[in-house]
Amino acid sequence: MNVGLNNADDELFRRYKQPLFGFFRRLVPDPDQGEELAQETFLALIRASSRYEPRALFRTYLYAIGFKILRAHRRKAAFRATFLGGEVGLREPASQNTTEAELCLRQAVGKLERIDREILLLREFELLTYADIAELLSLPVNTVRSRLFRARIALRHILSAPHLKPFAAKLAESEGHS
Amino acid sequence: MNTSTHPVAPEEVMAFLDNELSVTDAQAVSSHLEDCAECKSLAEEFRRTSQSLASWNIPGVPARLENLLMNRVAEIDSGFKGGKRGVFTRANSWSWKRWAIASGTTVAALLMVMAISVPNLLRSHLTRDEMEQFSQRQGYDRDSRGIEADGPPIANSRSIAVATALVPMIARTVSVSIVVKDLATSRSSLDIILARHHGYSAQLTVSTPQNAPQSLQASLRIPVSELPSAVADLKTLGRVENESQSGEEVTQQHTDLVARLKNARDTEQQLRTILQERTGKVAEVLQVEEEIARVRGDIESMEAEQKTLEHRVDFGTVELQITEEYKAQLYPPSASVSTRILNALVVGYRNGSETLLGLFVFVAEYGPTLLICLVIFALPVIFVWRRYRRMMNSL
Repeated sequence: MNVGLNNADDELFRRYKQPLFGFFRRLVPDPDQGEELAQETFLALIRASSRYEPRALFRTYLYAIGFKILRAHRRKAAFRATFLGGEVGLREPASQNTTEAELCLRQAVGKLERIDREILLLREFELLTYADIAELLSLPVNTVRSRLFRARIALRHILSAPHLKPFAAKLAESEGHS
Repeated sequence: MNTSTHPVAPEEVMAFLDNELSVTDAQAVSSHLEDCAECKSLAEEFRRTSQSLASWNIPGVPARLENLLMNRVAEIDSGFKGGKRGVFTRANSWSWKRWAIASGTTVAALLMVMAISVPNLLRSHLTRDEMEQFSQRQGYDRDSRGIEADGPPIANSRSIAVATALVPMIARTVSVSIVVKDLATSRSSLDIILARHHGYSAQLTVSTPQNAPQSLQASLRIPVSELPSAVADLKTLGRVENESQSGEEVTQQHTDLVARLKNARDTEQQLRTILQERTGKVAEVLQVEEEIARVRGDIESMEAEQKTLEHRVDFGTVELQITEEYKAQLYPPSASVSTRILNALVVGYRNGSETLLGLFVFVAEYGPTLLICLVIFALPVIFVWRRYRRMMNSL
């Protein structure tokens, strides 16, 4: 794929804008920050397009850039919160454009360990293989598999917790309809 | 559920559902799932979890994101680097404001450097004659002020100072390091050079260590008029490794000394006049004689100091170091192999034990202090680090 051309940039944006936007919206509590990070990722992608070498799937390359930007954002935010005071990550997502399912699932997934959460979301929503996730997060494939297993079991337990039971019932109902 | 009762692990069931198993393993897990209700239930749980997560829908990409991105891409394409900086914005994307600030700072720094360095450069370019004329002019000015001043002793000392300040007195020192092929020959040549230039050796040390080059260190005194030619002759002895020259101006020191000497002589003369012309008690006479003796002692001390100072000016000092080129010599082994090995073992044991002892002494000496510092500094660091990790995990 030649990503150095302007029309190719347009095609890239058209094809990957929704997955990347969803990726950041699910990983970052604040929707505005999620949007900003998605924008930064596309800009970085366009700037780095001349250096792209097709050694891996383009999706993996894209999410690698996304993770770099996400980590930089986390470091800055954590540094600011540590030394300048205040809390980060505790801000509830904006009520607009947020469904009940999103709120409940975000709450449930938020209880997982950060790496487990990232692995789970990369597998469930971005449909990356274990090997791709391992490469992306610089982890052994076996670690990815065991952490994913742990995350799924933990999530099943969390979703069966009393305060999420009404939501789980709704989900079961919707699953029954489907 | 474990692999002792089930031929497949739970993780393999999950991997099977994710299509992450090889064909053989997938067939094995598939056939096991048909027979095992427990594993089937687990697989169902995984499916339910995935289905639950699938209901987490994200709204469509807002149009403003696309517009913002397009605007920023357009800015980059048109070469306009202003606006909000991105994560990967390069360092060369400076706005005109940054360029203006950087240029202004550079110009200001250059002006400051020029303001400091130009007067010094101009001063260093003045010729020696110009400097002498300048100092003479300064001297005459001071002389005229000295004559007008009240009180003869001050006027006299100033006049003397001015008179001697006209000729700068400089004690010159030259340091030369020379490497020669043969030290004995060079030593003879050194004596000849000293005799030719009417100099002498104030101090001379020759060292001839084993397994090391021989060397000679000497402090030579040579009349200042002969100094340049003597140094040139010394340089012919071998290869010059290092040379430095310095001059210490002692004009002011000498001027002060001469003035103090003159005042002391005047005082001595006045005391002698008092002794000869006045009469008094024996005690008073003795007191005046004591005072004369004290002043005489001061005068002699100052005269000696003056002579030394003038000698330093008249005779330049040459700090000479001559080193012979090292010629390695083949020596027979001093000890047998077993002895050397034994010695090495003994030295090794001694070094090891001394290191251990030194370590113990260090810990005993500085351990408590380090521990206190560690406790003092570790607590805030741990607190900050834990807070930082907590913040990172909460993001």
